[in-house]
Amino acid sequence: MTLSAPPTRSLDELTLGGDMSLEDLVSRDGLAEVIKSANELFGLPIRVFTEDGKLLADATDSIELYAYLNTSRAGRAALSEVVAAVKALAPGADGEANYQCVTGAFYRVAAIVYDSRQIGRMILGPFSPAASAEPPASLLALDAQLDPDNLRALYKKLPRGEEQTVSHVARHLARVLDLLLFSGHRALLTSNMHLASVRESFRELEDKNQKLQVAYDRLKELDRLKSNFLATVSHELRTPLTSIIGYSEMLVEGLAGDLTKEQREFVQTIRDKGDQLLALIKGLLDLSKLESGTMSLRKNHVDVAALIKDVVSTMAPTARKKEVELTFEVEKGLPAIWADAERLRQVLLNLTENAIKFTPVSGSVRLVARLTGMDATSSGDTGGMVLLGARRTGVEMRVADTGIGIPESERMRVFDAFYQVDSSSTREAGGTGLGLSIVKRLVDGHDGNVRIEANQPRGTVFVVTIPVKRATIG
Amino acid sequence: MQLDFVNRELTVKLVYYGPALSGKTTNLQALHKAAEPGASGRLMTLETRDDRTLFFDLLPLTFRNQGSLAVRLKVFTVPGQVIHASTRRLVVQGADGIAFIADSRNAETQHNAESFLDLKENLKQHGLTLKQMPVVIQFNKRDLPEVRSDAEIAELASQGREPVYLAVAMRGQGVVESFVGLLHLTWSALDAEHDLNKKFGFDSQAFLATVAKKLGDSRPLSEILGACVGGALDVLKPEAG
Repeated sequence: MTLSAPPTRSLDELTLGGDMSLEDLVSRDGLAEVIKSANELFGLPIRVFTEDGKLLADATDSIELYAYLNTSRAGRAALSEVVAAVKALAPGADGEANYQCVTGAFYRVAAIVYDSRQIGRMILGPFSPAASAEPPASLLALDAQLDPDNLRALYKKLPRGEEQTVSHVARHLARVLDLLLFSGHRALLTSNMHLASVRESFRELEDKNQKLQVAYDRLKELDRLKSNFLATVSHELRTPLTSIIGYSEMLVEGLAGDLTKEQREFVQTIRDKGDQLLALIKGLLDLSKLESGTMSLRKNHVDVAALIKDVVSTMAPTARKKEVELTFEVEKGLPAIWADAERLRQVLLNLTENAIKFTPVSGSVRLVARLTGMDATSSGDTGGMVLLGARRTGVEMRVADTGIGIPESERMRVFDAFYQVDSSSTREAGGTGLGLSIVKRLVDGHDGNVRIEANQPRGTVFVVTIPVKRATIG
Repeated sequence: MQLDFVNRELTVKLVYYGPALSGKTTNLQALHKAAEPGASGRLMTLETRDDRTLFFDLLPLTFRNQGSLAVRLKVFTVPGQVIHASTRRLVVQGADGIAFIADSRNAETQHNAESFLDLKENLKQHGLTLKQMPVVIQFNKRDLPEVRSDAEIAELASQGREPVYLAVAMRGQGVVESFVGLLHLTWSALDAEHDLNKKFGFDSQAFLATVAKKLGDSRPLSEILGACVGGALDVLKPEAG
């Protein structure tokens, strides 16, 4: 993800550079209000121009004298000369300049300075000195068509101001403006710094994310290498083991001559342990195949009732040996499910074996199969179900024991490879911690889900749900 | 540094760096207070409600009466709090000289060191090294109890490169000296790089004396510059590379 940079200026541009303009620093409306209020207070026409001569704010009432002058050709010409002259008027070293126009009215130009640089001008006027009652001859002589009496009357209506007063007003306005500009500058800097800081923090985070991503990719690669290693090693271990088992089997069967009872017992132990080791290695191989996604499931229509019966009869001797009651119940009329029968058998065998293993003497293990609804999302979240898909039907296979139980906080972790809830129980009960991770992956491979519930009053229920394909019930 | 040939104006950026609450803003306030009205603009502070600097403070100083070149000094502080790392990096960018304001209290020794390393790292991010940067160090808050002794500071300063000043910024003590020292180092470095004195017929010694005077210190320049302990106030040679 990338953020496109908004058009902001760097801190240096905003603080060191000389291109700060009046418009950047002050709002046009705010400026107009200030000028208007000064105009009302002092009765002086005021205009504010940017440094390049653009009118930014204007607080002037119409001047009747000028309106009258505009009715004559010579008057019009004289007025436009005044406008040009005033516009061109540059404030002197003291920041001010005066201009007296042909009508006798004065204009006062004052520089607007910020950060010791001129960034605009304000023009006060026209005004006539308070003491002057009579217009200058230049006004009366402007055009013979203009009525001198009328000119005299209108001249008296010009805004009045003492030069001293106008100077004060100009200085006062300059101060107010300076404060406005300062506040504007500060606000501009603050918002820019906010943006710049956010962008800088974002850049930092992105940097860190990048590094994390690299580390993550590397870990993933290592994980893949580990799986490969596991697959290779398991495979290589299996080959000699097959020979060990085969030869010990032949010894037990007396193919190499008779054995004494003791010898037979020893060889039988070698064989049994060899079988155990083989089962372990097969588990590792399965896991690595499942992890690398190279295990292919041969799915077909599977009769759940037959499967459960098979599992129970397979495990019955083990249960008997441990004095654990093993029972089952299959709902009538269960549809066939779409699954790899051999792998599903492995799942149920594993769960049942576990259940027996962790159930104390005279406890019970019960297998139940029944029809159930499955959420399309398989996550238990029913939000947006109408959009996400119709509810699917599944067959739920429950393996309930009366063993030591699994604390709720551990329930998701038991499916991690090599994880043991309580490693001390391993020594007692045996096992590698691989079984459940294989179960989880196999069930996932069937698009099903496996979860753990608590059994009442004690023990654990593993619930495997495998979907019934719509086609098979349709 | 920005040089405007048309208007014959030079803008120099000085940054006050240091750990949180070491007195960077107080230094600027003292400079602002000491400066003649014509020389100093408003002190701009961008601070949070609890008077801690949020982004930076900015004090503009302008000296126009020197030869034909107007010198505008923009004096910044950085926010000292650790969380404002990105802001410090933004502010220190383009600095021509740095005054490092350290807190003299014994308990702050570690914070001073961390902040100095932070400065080093931030300069590095902008492709700069401390060696290239004119730096003065000010030990502030000399009036507080449990501070590092003058002798200890002098001893360490004599082994270091940076001129070290002792100050009580709250009372304005040592503030102008630190500033003039920093300006002297900075100007020397800029002159060495851009040949400013020759190009503009600029007398940097007279300029420094004027600045000191406008900041209310009329002593001879040598005396003001001599207020530091240790370090070297001679011209910084730009490092190759």
